Amino acid sequence: MANQRPGRVPMIGTPVQDLDTPALLIDLAAMERNIGVIASHYADKTIRVRPHGKNHKSPQVLAMQIAAGSTVGGVCAAKVSEAEVFAGAPACGNVLIANQIVGADKIRRLASLAKRVQTMVAVDSLRQVELLAAGAREADAELGVVVEIDTMMRRGGTRSVADAVALAVAIDGAPNLRFMGVMSHQVPTIRSPNREQRLAEGRRMMAGVIEAKQAIEATGLEVAVVSTGESWTYDVAATLPEVTEIEAGTYIVMEVPYAYMTEFRFAARVMGRVVECPDARTAIGDVPIDAIGAPNGLPTLEGAGRSLDGIKVTRLDHHGIELASTDEEMPLQVGDRFYLLTHQQDVTMNRWERFLGIRNGVVETVIEAPARGCVH
Amino acid sequence: MQRPIEKPVGARVEELDTPALLVDLPRLQANVAAIGASAGGGLIRTAAWIHKTPAIAHIEVANENVIGIAVRGVAEAEVFAAAGCDDIRILRPLVTASAKRRAAKLAESIRVVIEDDGIAVGDERMLAESIAVSARVTSVPEPGRAIHDCGQKAIGRDFGDPQVVGNEQLQARASSAEHGVITYPTDEHPFAIGDWLRLRPADIATVFALHDFAFAIDDGRLAATWPISARGAFQ
Repeated sequence: MANQRPGRVPMIGTPVQDLDTPALLIDLAAMERNIGVIASHYADKTIRVRPHGKNHKSPQVLAMQIAAGSTVGGVCAAKVSEAEVFAGAPACGNVLIANQIVGADKIRRLASLAKRVQTMVAVDSLRQVELLAAGAREADAELGVVVEIDTMMRRGGTRSVADAVALAVAIDGAPNLRFMGVMSHQVPTIRSPNREQRLAEGRRMMAGVIEAKQAIEATGLEVAVVSTGESWTYDVAATLPEVTEIEAGTYIVMEVPYAYMTEFRFAARVMGRVVECPDARTAIGDVPIDAIGAPNGLPTLEGAGRSLDGIKVTRLDHHGIELASTDEEMPLQVGDRFYLLTHQQDVTMNRWERFLGIRNGVVETVIEAPARGCVH
Repeated sequence: MQRPIEKPVGARVEELDTPALLVDLPRLQANVAAIGASAGGGLIRTAAWIHKTPAIAHIEVANENVIGIAVRGVAEAEVFAAAGCDDIRILRPLVTASAKRRAAKLAESIRVVIEDDGIAVGDERMLAESIAVSARVTSVPEPGRAIHDCGQKAIGRDFGDPQVVGNEQLQARASSAEHGVITYPTDEHPFAIGDWLRLRPADIATVFALHDFAFAIDDGRLAATWPISARGAFQ
């Protein structure tokens, strides 16, 4: 079974205006700045950053995050196949799969991964503990396990402290499994929270993980890992001594709904070109919906070197994007370029085989994303 | 690049690693056979940009009413031409020198059509009812709620939520990038960890834009594994 990785790879040094479109461009200075903000915030603290690989799908970007410092020296992954790609990167020393893994084939892969790199996986039921223990025993592997605590997402995760404690005890007693600790993921419930609201929400949600940690410790078990937090709570987690690592991903390239995190810069843009002007006020661009994804709303338009105030994205479908001017005239003409900012960056990044790293207006590096599409 | 576990032809569909993009092969063949009737004897080009899969294009053009395929841009045309398609309409206007040069190069060896020449272009009905994505329940964390492994990155949500095949009254949501959620009355227990299910996507083209492989299924068994070669060929 083989599939070549499609898409075009431009020459290094190609000016942005000469690139074929659509293309996913990374502003290297902005991405480096974002990595630096997180790394320097944690430089003098004991809590470490576990970069989330699902947000960029690229071992090359993970290597930059780890090289900047303050990390666990490993990665957070959403799926086994994604973890396999990152585990092959020289910089990646350990993996946390922040998800429940089910299915005999997948558990076999997971156990094999655990023999090559220190691996942790999340559970929320006794049934998973049984299945994982059987798989790890068959492979003669030792698999680290954390209990996922639900703190607001209502996806996986235990719904009570008593359940979390029972699971921790079961993991500790299971052959070939090592109980490591607890994890949880949260998103803000307030749109564009101010700093005060953000800190209060983050503390309230993470209190649930800390409560579970303390209850498990009361049974005599050691809780080595408390993995929680996201980009929007990176500074909250740093104030909680119980938290050992923060799972941050969105900060790497950012997205429009996170614009209130002003210390981070937008680093990813889908660049398109106008291919048609059906009337004086309308332009059609060459960015189809599948090149950006829009589960959380239409992308935000940015001019390529000029202001596009007064122009709105009015439609996005499989054939392209419609831009409409509120003024008499549409300033964009056929051949003109424009940029789009995403409202859900990991969905956008997952549409591309590679990103073009741009500095000073030219392609400086091509960033391959081999974990793209790794949904297994 | 997706890394599904390879299974031999003849493997049961439930053995395929989830989430997997499943194509009901007899249904697809029946849809293609029906083109003749719906085209009223006229010729059409099928909308290959929807499935991006050369193996499906080959099934389509084997029908005598199908003269060729339609794609969105030059990159998709290049992929299908390399796979043996010799009549390709490019729907998007070519505005850059690079796109025009590449289209002209293709036109040296195959028929490339860049303007409406009166031949109709098909639509997603060719694939209707033949596409599903398999999933496995990973968690039943509370009464009335099952979590499975097919989220937005495997089924999309740009055009809405999926339906559970055979259980359309349940509410299914691709609410997270990596997880899907199904909700049901709290006194019912339709799902347990490890259960296998199929989801019907809200939009077919989105699913083919996410996966690297499609699995052709005949009578519940794997008939072929098809690379979705034009996925990501955006330029």
